[in-house]
Amino acid sequence: MALTDALKAEFDNLCTKYPHRRAGLIPALHRCQEELGGWISPEIITDCAEYFKLEPVEVYSVASFYPMFFLSPIGQHVVSVCRNISCDLRGACEITSAATEHTGAACGESSKDGRFYLEEVECQGACTNAPMMVVDGKYYEDLEPADVARILGEIQ
Amino acid sequence: MTHETYLLDRSKLADSHTLEVARADGAYGALQKVFESSMSPESVVGEVKKSGLRGRGGAGFPTGLKWSFMPNHETDSRTRYMAVNADESEPGTCKDRILMREDPHCLIEGCLIAAFAMRLDAVYIYVRGEYRLPYDRMQAALDEARAAGIIGDNILGSGYSCEIHMHKGAGAYICGEETGLMESLEGKRGHPRPKPPFPAGFGLWGQPTTVNNVESIFNVPFILARGADWFRTMGTETSPGNFLCGISGHVERPGVYEVPLGISARTILEDLAGGIWKGRSLKAWFPGGSSTGVLPADMLDTPMDHDSVKAAGSMFGTGAMIILDETASVVRSALILARFYEHESCGQCSQCREGTEWQEQIINRMLSGQGKSGDVELLVDLSKGMFPGKTICALSDAAAIPVLAAIKHFRGEFEACISSPEEILA
Amino acid sequence: MTKIIVNGREVEADPQKPLIAACHEHGEHVPHYCYHPGLSVVGSCRICQVEVKQGEMPARVVAACRTPVAEGMVVNTESQGAHDSRRECLEFLLKNHPLDCPICDKAGECTLQDYSFQEAQAEGRTSEPRRKLEKRKDLGDVILLDQERCILCSRCVRFMDEVPKSPQLCISGRGSHSVVETWQDAPLTGNYQGNLADVCPVGALTLKDFRFQARVWNLTRVPSTCSECSRGCSISVEVLRDGEVKRMRPRPNEDVNGYWMCDHGRFSEGELNRSDRMGPAAMRNDAGQLKAADPHDALRVVRNLLSIQSNALFLASPYLTLEEGEAFSQLAKSCSTQAAFFSPEPNELGDDVLHTGDPCPNRRGLQEAGLKPMDSEEWAAASAAADCVLLVGERLLDMLGDEALDALPTAQRLVVMECRTSNHPAIDIAMGVPNRVERSGTWINVDGTPGAIRAARSAPQGVRTIVDLLESLTSASGQPEEALSS
Repeated sequence: MALTDALKAEFDNLCTKYPHRRAGLIPALHRCQEELGGWISPEIITDCAEYFKLEPVEVYSVASFYPMFFLSPIGQHVVSVCRNISCDLRGACEITSAATEHTGAACGESSKDGRFYLEEVECQGACTNAPMMVVDGKYYEDLEPADVARILGEIQ
Repeated sequence: MTHETYLLDRSKLADSHTLEVARADGAYGALQKVFESSMSPESVVGEVKKSGLRGRGGAGFPTGLKWSFMPNHETDSRTRYMAVNADESEPGTCKDRILMREDPHCLIEGCLIAAFAMRLDAVYIYVRGEYRLPYDRMQAALDEARAAGIIGDNILGSGYSCEIHMHKGAGAYICGEETGLMESLEGKRGHPRPKPPFPAGFGLWGQPTTVNNVESIFNVPFILARGADWFRTMGTETSPGNFLCGISGHVERPGVYEVPLGISARTILEDLAGGIWKGRSLKAWFPGGSSTGVLPADMLDTPMDHDSVKAAGSMFGTGAMIILDETASVVRSALILARFYEHESCGQCSQCREGTEWQEQIINRMLSGQGKSGDVELLVDLSKGMFPGKTICALSDAAAIPVLAAIKHFRGEFEACISSPEEILA
Repeated sequence: MTKIIVNGREVEADPQKPLIAACHEHGEHVPHYCYHPGLSVVGSCRICQVEVKQGEMPARVVAACRTPVAEGMVVNTESQGAHDSRRECLEFLLKNHPLDCPICDKAGECTLQDYSFQEAQAEGRTSEPRRKLEKRKDLGDVILLDQERCILCSRCVRFMDEVPKSPQLCISGRGSHSVVETWQDAPLTGNYQGNLADVCPVGALTLKDFRFQARVWNLTRVPSTCSECSRGCSISVEVLRDGEVKRMRPRPNEDVNGYWMCDHGRFSEGELNRSDRMGPAAMRNDAGQLKAADPHDALRVVRNLLSIQSNALFLASPYLTLEEGEAFSQLAKSCSTQAAFFSPEPNELGDDVLHTGDPCPNRRGLQEAGLKPMDSEEWAAASAAADCVLLVGERLLDMLGDEALDALPTAQRLVVMECRTSNHPAIDIAMGVPNRVERSGTWINVDGTPGAIRAARSAPQGVRTIVDLLESLTSASGQPEEALSS
């Protein structure tokens, strides 16, 4: 059982916000990913299926739809560089190159030492502060390529 | 240049997101006024209708009219909801995050007024999963408001009760489509639903629901506090009020600026955003986010309001201007957007699922020096097959329009990819 | 009912159903993939385009499965706009679809093929590489999945959710990266998997049982009724060139089985194709061997036997039709006794979908015909006491079992009219009969609804129908032996 009692208690509370429990599924998956290793494992899927009284195939179908959920293990720190138009116009490619260089990971892959997972993502809603990247959920905006090494270097 | 502002005024105050600062600045005054003047819910709807406020999420549908679609509570006793669309994922658009981050109490107040007007039982604020700080600020503000008796039972002693809940998305653009949002909120894949039935008749969990954009709801307290007539003094006849224009891309001062609807695009670009960066000149611009068709430089004097931009052959959308200078490749922009729509299509409809992939493949080939004679015509034809109104939702239209507009105004660039591939690859 | 006009004809439409149902009910076909009358409506494939005009509004092209009928609506299923829209939709669907027709079981009954030719959209303009996915995904004992052929109509997912109410399939991923799959590639379970190959409009979900077995245009399809339980689902028996039954599929019947049948019934064709068939007649000679004989001679001997025996046991197979049951009942009466039919034990397959758990397809019919049910115990007692036993009908020897025949008294005369051959020493006279796909008649199901079985192929050479055999025995029985020996 991957779901801890603490998480289940959290979900019990979460589900009171909705008339139907299933509405808590996506917020619950977020919490599972945050607390249980950074990805949605098969165990998390079967546990959530049991908790929400669904079949595993139904939970899997939902989780696999959303870009923020990782269904296989990834590097410890997730680095997401926006590749959409406003960022691209202001040098997103150089940010991606810098991130590739610093992390040692190709886009869509984890670094060999397992420290980083690098991905290109679609518009993150920081267009007037382009280019940008998200590291472990935190937005870093108005970037110069040199900022990338500094920011990632500060990650413990 | 000076014009009246209201949307971002409070956010200029330090700690504007706290109840203390917000309340001192007048937060919840409009709500109080509604209760104290014994306005009926129907008259609140009427005031919003009278204001002419149009939705700020991209479609520009009159907000008061949408509210009036909720069924008559005397004949339909089902549970009633509002979902606030804070999914903000339209490329170029980054205004709602500012409102939620800097002035969450104004949004809460707008939700409560809307809830009263439509006799709602609960409000869900669906925030895109990536917006951590805005979500946390909203949640903290809700907690403050609840503690102060502003949310929950007997709001401000009015006898009216309503709940507001935060809800998190998980990164899919299609969940910004109102029915895709509802599916996602219910814990499912974000597959838009065919309409009819419309959300007011069959929404969240099959109950009457209204879905409104953050900025739309944000305007409501001001309309109720200062009056519909005041609201109409700003903007244009058919697009009244101010809006938050995010201008990004090749400009000196990208940023989100509060301006009245109807202001010239040129004024925004040159006066507010400092003009094209690096001393360059304008080549092309998107008026309102990536789903609106690109316009050429010689149309920069288009007023930024719904009717004017439509007359110019594009759409106002979210009012998010994206600027391309003379060195930018329109074909590359088309590829970036084609890739975006291909990534975000939910996959239900044949035209969208296959068409977005096909668009990306063709443009990709063109930019890799592998364009073939006839590719431009094919791109136009297949894009025409994706819209209008042939699919469950408008993502298919949103994918088709930028390609068609780019080819319409910059066909030469596309043709050059095919005729001179070596130049493209250089 | 709501009055609408479809292609110039005023028709009545059920307001509870979408426009596409009204069109189909009145013989105006509208192409469709995701729509299925037995499943929920999604409106995602977008091919069911028809032109609709209402009141003063301009005519528009809409998806017929998501359009409610409205009084006075004018519908044109053949407008230029509708055809153009369908053509566009087909080109999009064919863009990634693999050109597998030469090796695809669905060819000949594939609506992607059919509509492409109907709408003159057989040529695509794409030169892009097609999606590479799993082409032979094993989903268990029944179904094979080819993800490349899939057009993501979601019928299969909805079927599992809504009919056996066992969610096992899903669409995973998003957009053009969506695929149909099970959780962790688990094999499908349940007694209704075969229906997935029926609902799939293309060759994405196919039956392992039917893989490469036949081209569907070489199959003769005959409407009949399933034999494997007392639900009596309406089926189509499909035979290749008057030979093997290659498959059986459900036929729509809103009173009995809706659009479905269970796997237990669907995959029972093996038994129909067995080659060990009994010939027209065989009799035990003086040397004790069962030898082929002239059917007339055999019948004469049987008549004699019946006329001289005082305690004959008449046992019918539960697969006998109502008509055969009546003839058997008459025969038994003429010998002053009541006929019986073997009543098999209920099995564990009964569910709340279709299967009744009673393996007897015509219990009510045979009882109506005047036969009494006889289970194994009752048979043991009755057969031990009888001096002559007449067993009539298919699968009876298998149901009774060799041990049952072993237990028969040696003095007893045993006449067997069966499908499968047998060399059991207890048998004195054997006559072949047609099985349930080689003859016609009526079965009455558990609810009293009649279901017809119909001959889908010829019976083995020289084999006579059961009714024929029984009537010829009845007309002559009761008469003294002398009168018969001619």
